[in-house]
Formats: sequence, structure tokens, C-alpha cells
Amino acid sequence: MAAPLLSHRPIALQAPLLRKEIRELASGNALWVLMLLLSPLVGYSFIQAVALYAEASRPARAIPELARQLSSFDGILVPTLGGFYLAITLLFPFIAIRLVAAEKTSGGLKLLVQLPYRLTDLVTAKFVALMAAWLVALIPVLSALIGWVFLGGHLDIRETVTLLLGHMLYALLIGAISFLAAALTEGGATAAILALAVTLGSWVLDFAALDRGGVSSLLASLSLTSLLRPFEQGLLSIPAILAMLVATAGFLALTAIWLPPGTPLKRKLSGSALIIVVAAILIGGAAQANTVLDVTPDRRNSFPPADEHLLSRLREPLSVTVHMATSDPRLVDLDRKVLARLKRAMPRVTVQIADSGQATPLGTAGEADYGEIAMTYRARSATTRSTGAGEILPMLYELAGVSSPPPSTTGSDEPGYPLVADASSSAIWFYGIEPFAVAVAWWLAAGNRRIPWRRS
Amino acid sequence: MILNTPSEAVLSNADSLMSVQGISKAFGDQRVLADISFDVISGEILGLIGPNGAGKTTLLECIAGLLPIDSGEVRWRGAPLSACQRKQLLFYVPEAISPYPDQRSAEVLRFFCEANRQPPKRLDELVAALRLEPALAKPLGALSKGYRRRLLLALGLLAPRPMLLMDEPFDGFDLRQTREVMSLLRDEALHGRTLALA
Repeated sequence: MAAPLLSHRPIALQAPLLRKEIRELASGNALWVLMLLLSPLVGYSFIQAVALYAEASRPARAIPELARQLSSFDGILVPTLGGFYLAITLLFPFIAIRLVAAEKTSGGLKLLVQLPYRLTDLVTAKFVALMAAWLVALIPVLSALIGWVFLGGHLDIRETVTLLLGHMLYALLIGAISFLAAALTEGGATAAILALAVTLGSWVLDFAALDRGGVSSLLASLSLTSLLRPFEQGLLSIPAILAMLVATAGFLALTAIWLPPGTPLKRKLSGSALIIVVAAILIGGAAQANTVLDVTPDRRNSFPPADEHLLSRLREPLSVTVHMATSDPRLVDLDRKVLARLKRAMPRVTVQIADSGQATPLGTAGEADYGEIAMTYRARSATTRSTGAGEILPMLYELAGVSSPPPSTTGSDEPGYPLVADASSSAIWFYGIEPFAVAVAWWLAAGNRRIPWRRS
Repeated sequence: MILNTPSEAVLSNADSLMSVQGISKAFGDQRVLADISFDVISGEILGLIGPNGAGKTTLLECIAGLLPIDSGEVRWRGAPLSACQRKQLLFYVPEAISPYPDQRSAEVLRFFCEANRQPPKRLDELVAALRLEPALAKPLGALSKGYRRRLLLALGLLAPRPMLLMDEPFDGFDLRQTREVMSLLRDEALHGRTLALA
């Protein structure tokens, strides 16, 4: 019976392991608490977004120019998923931590690591279960989107999928960080503190970057929230996707190293160092991928096609120096409407913010060059104070010695989607029916299940 | 103290199956194991006896690869046995654990049966031999100490490894249950399984 098993290879990820993790997920309280809170949170965000959208739509029904500015994506989807983002940031770590920490504290891990599974299989099964939890958590969001369509609202499939993809990658990254926190610490409470310190620390970095440039801006670009931002603008950012995937895989690999008992500390440290170096190289490489797709139907994040085509042919380095404080709203406007688009359209663009605006107590607004935007191309320079593409692009074309393309005569084909609707009746669903259904599912998962012992 | 009880299987195979050589382990300044060495023969039932705090559990966990050892090594049939290889040959049943408190006994047993690629019949036999039927529908967290101990034994016996390491396998049993479990373990040894009990 007990034949030598040295030739026995570790089995691959299997259904029994995954079923066990799903049972662990369902039998715990964290998922159900998240669902109970998520439903009213998303519902409130959705109802408020629809009300505000209706307010904006009333005058737009008579003015086509106003109507063109109205997008369901910015007006409904992003705000509705804002509540989802909040819940995922604050509550999703608890689900992830439970999947790892429960077995550590109960002693089940000592049994689990002796089963013929690879450590990567164990961590992967837990992660797949976590992805299943995210899909379950998405139910309130999907019901809000269905509700929007039911009210007569417009949804663009490419924008919607891009936004959901961003939120999924964000949640998986949060989950992987939480896994590592649970693997590193002895108790679930300590792991929760560690995971929340990272997620909430990201918010702090973001806030800090609002008023300061330099190192703060650099750190803010590494924050978890900033990774989600392109998706919220309707941009499918390949660098962001690759960076999030690599970071997630890196945190999972670190979890596999730190989770098992019995591994000497020296080996854990050397393995961790290797993973961090490899992940840093891969993320650095991903950042070089300059592919960002504007999936919005009206291409509102991009220059007109004729300009993009012309800009893509300008192969020489373009240097842009902006003399503005990072907290200046004009810089934010310039970045979104000109600089970010230039970076995507031209192969070699360098942007330098020359003045942080916070350096002296006297401020910088009085400095002579404050507000100037200097551009250098082929050793020729020009300066402007305008932050609009209508002035900056012709200046660039003049520096490059090319003619401006003819202005687009058709304009945007998108008519805009104004809608005066009232979603207040959906409160019954979000505040009543859905939480009740969650409570019933929780009760069913917690007990009173009949388990057939013998296989049929 | 280490007690060796040779069974009939030992008589037919006197080669050393596992050899523990000079294992030492310290937690900070406290040295728990100091240069421990012994051999185990195939089919043997080995008893590790000592007062509380003597380091029996630490020794078993070091052998099973669940604790890193400071020095020494474990050999299998004369060859060094790395920590990664140990889970292919050894299975350690810990004592003071309460795994999967929210999952029902039947689910946990079935998972370990399937993970170890054992036929359902083997699970049925162990459930009957350890009298686990009344506990099957209950979550592990609701089991009495005796039932939880029996279930852990079943999980260990479901692992098809040549050697089992068991920490306090009779803890929580009355005399009759102890005899039944001893009989079951002797039967395992007679079939060639080597046991180390602490």
C-alpha cells in the first residue's frame, strides 16, 4: 500500500483544491459582509449619478452642443463604479486575507503543504477563488448597468469592458498584496493592518502629489489609484495592464515563498530579492510600451485622426518645458488635453515641469516666465501661454516645418446621450431585494446544507 | 526517550528506512533540540517519549520539514532527504490544530481523499474503522476533542506515504478508543507503513 513515492510528481491545480477554497470563501463571513455593504453603496452611487445626469441633460435636450458633452461613461459608469472601488479598496483585503490567514491560524496549513500540490498550485487556487469572489461582488454593479439600460441609457461596450477590466486588475492587485500581507504575518488582524496601510497609503501618495511636484509626483505615479485612472478615462493602457499583471504575479510569487512553514529565512530572503528584481525589470520594460488605445466612441482622449497621423511622422525628439505649479489647474488641463495626447501620438516626447510653484513662500505667480510652455523640436524653440491644442499644435507644426492638416469638418459623430431619468425606484432593489438575497445566500452557505456522504 | 517496537514486517526488512542525524534546533537563545540522532526501520512503530516541553513536537516538525533545522540532516534509505522531498515520503499529523472549523467533516475528508488520489473505498474503510459516521455532517469546529483527533488520524492515514509522524495520536481517547486506534495503527504497520508516535 505504502509504495515509495519519490517518482510521484506534484499534481497540477485540481478541482478538489479549488472546491475547498470556494467552500472556505463561502463559509466565511467576509464575502457576505462585503456584499451586504456593497449593494447599498453601489446603489446609492448609481441613483445619485442618474439624478445628476438628469440635471445636466435637461438643458442639453435643446442644445446639441451641450448634448455632445454628455457621456454615460463619465456620467454614470465611472461614478457608479466609484462606490465599488471604495468597497474593494477597504473591504476586499479582508476576503483575501481570510483565504490565507485562516489556514495559518487554525493549523490547516501544516496539513495542506504536505499534500502533493506545488506551493504555486496552492496559492493559485486561493487566487482563483478570490477572482470568483470579485465576480460575485460585481453583481450590484452589473445590476446597476442593467438598470441604466432599462431606463433608456446608453452603454458603449468597449468603454464598459475597459473600465471593468481596470477594476478587475485593480482588485486582483489588492488581493495579491493582501495575500502577501497574510503570508508575512501571524494573525489576520495584523495582515489587515498591513494591507490597508498599503492601499490607504496609496491615497495619501495621491493627495500629496496634488500640491507637490518632484519626488511626490514620482511616488504618486506608483500609487494603486493612479493605475486605475487611464481606464476611468476610457483608455486601454497596455503599460498599465502589464504593470498590474506583473505586480500581481510578483506578489503571488512572494506569497508562495513566505507562506510555507519550514523554509529557512535566508532562502525566503534570497528568493524574495530575486522576484523583486525580476518584477522591477519587467515593470520597467512594460512602462516602455507606449501603446494606449482610446476606446471612447468619440475619441475624446485623442487629437483628430489627421493630426495624429501627422504627429506620428514627426520622429525627432520633442522637448516640452512647462513653467507651472503642479497644483495649477491649467497644468491638469494641459496634461489631459495636450501633453498626454502628444505622448501617445509622437514617438519621442519629453515633458519637464520646470516650476513646482511651491518652492518659495512668496509663490511663483509673479515670476516672469510662469505659465509659459516652451517647445523645442529640431533645435528650434517656441513659447506660448496657451494651454489649448488649437494653439499648441500649429506651433509645433511650424517648428517641424510641416503644414497643419485641414481642420476636421465633420466634428464628432457622437451625438451625446442626454437622458432625463429617475432611478430612485431602483432603491428597492439595491437597499432591499439584493441585500435580502445576500442574507439568504449567507444563511444557506453557513449551514443547514445536506451533504450526501456516499457518491451516487 | 525513544522506544522501538519491531513488528513482523521489521523482521523481514532490517534496513534503516529513515535516519535522523544530529538534528539541532533553537528558538532564539533557547535550544530545544541538541544533536538528536536515531534510525527507524521499515514497518517499525517508533515511540518518542518525554515530558511536556521536551521538544517532541519540534522534532517531528523538523523531520517533516515544517520547521527549518539549524543543523543535522534526515536521510532516507541512506540518501539525504531534502525538505521538498519529505512531503513525498512522510506525513505529519499535528496535535494542537483545529483546521477548517467552518467546513463539514465529510467535505474535509473527501478533499484529502481526492487530493491524495485515494479511492472512495479507502475513505469509507477509515470512517468505519475510526467510527467517524456521527461526525460527518458536523463542521470541524463543532467536533469534540476525541472526534477531531480521530478525524486528524483519518487525514493522516489517507496520505499514502511510507511513514507517518503522529503527535499525541491518542490524546482525547478513552481506553476502548485507544485500543481500537492502536489496533488500527498496528494493522497499518503490518502492511508496511512505518509510524513514529510522540
